[in-house]
Amino acid sequence: MVDALREVHRVLAPRGVLVDARPDSRFLARAERRTTRGFQVFGNIRTSSVEMGNDRASDAAIARVVRDGLFRRSRPRRFWHRVPFDDLAELRKYLSEHLRFVKRAEWTVDAATRRRYAKDPFVIRRPVRYELLTKI
Amino acid sequence: MSGDGRVFGKRVPALSSRLRPAAEVELGYWGGPALVRGKRVLDLGCGDGRLALGVAPFAKEVTGTDPDAELIADARLRARDAGLRNARFDVGAGQSLRYADGAFEVVILSWTL
Repeated sequence: MVDALREVHRVLAPRGVLVDARPDSRFLARAERRTTRGFQVFGNIRTSSVEMGNDRASDAAIARVVRDGLFRRSRPRRFWHRVPFDDLAELRKYLSEHLRFVKRAEWTVDAATRRRYAKDPFVIRRPVRYELLTKI
Repeated sequence: MSGDGRVFGKRVPALSSRLRPAAEVELGYWGGPALVRGKRVLDLGCGDGRLALGVAPFAKEVTGTDPDAELIADARLRARDAGLRNARFDVGAGQSLRYADGAFEVVILSWTL
């Protein structure tokens, strides 16, 4: 990763900007039911340990090139992105196949509630971190 | 491959592109079209061009690069269908970019690093 960031530095013009945006595993994603008035949290979704490690490696790579004097960093920011699903079964299928998340949500509502609203539309609300770095 | 064995731009299935934020949404968070207006932009790990094609209407030129040739073919097709003449796509890896020094004013790593 550091090699790629050095290449980015090379192809950037003086004072050019590098945008680094990626999912933020520091915060839990949420499984939410879409209601008529908003969203109801049904559970938490953790990032797999492998991906957590990859995220730490990415953070370290950015820190390295900043430390090496290649970029000046700004304060990282975050936004939340909702991925829509037709129903709870579709959300579960997505989780079972997803490379980044663990395969099962940690439900914060009971099984009866999940069954009752299983046919409602659901979303996964996930944090995305972004940062603009300026070439020095 | 990068130093730790990861491959840029190949770790997430192409299908997930439709599950990511729309390009204009992401660009909006980063500062809006002003960030790329009139500039030469490189989208590194561009996949099927989701972000590059969203940026192209504002930028002077957009180049997308990704190690996956199939995704690059998709991106080229989408650019042609959209009539975007300032967008080009190349197969390539982030560790050895075949672009000149200082070729871009903005480089985007969106869900890539």
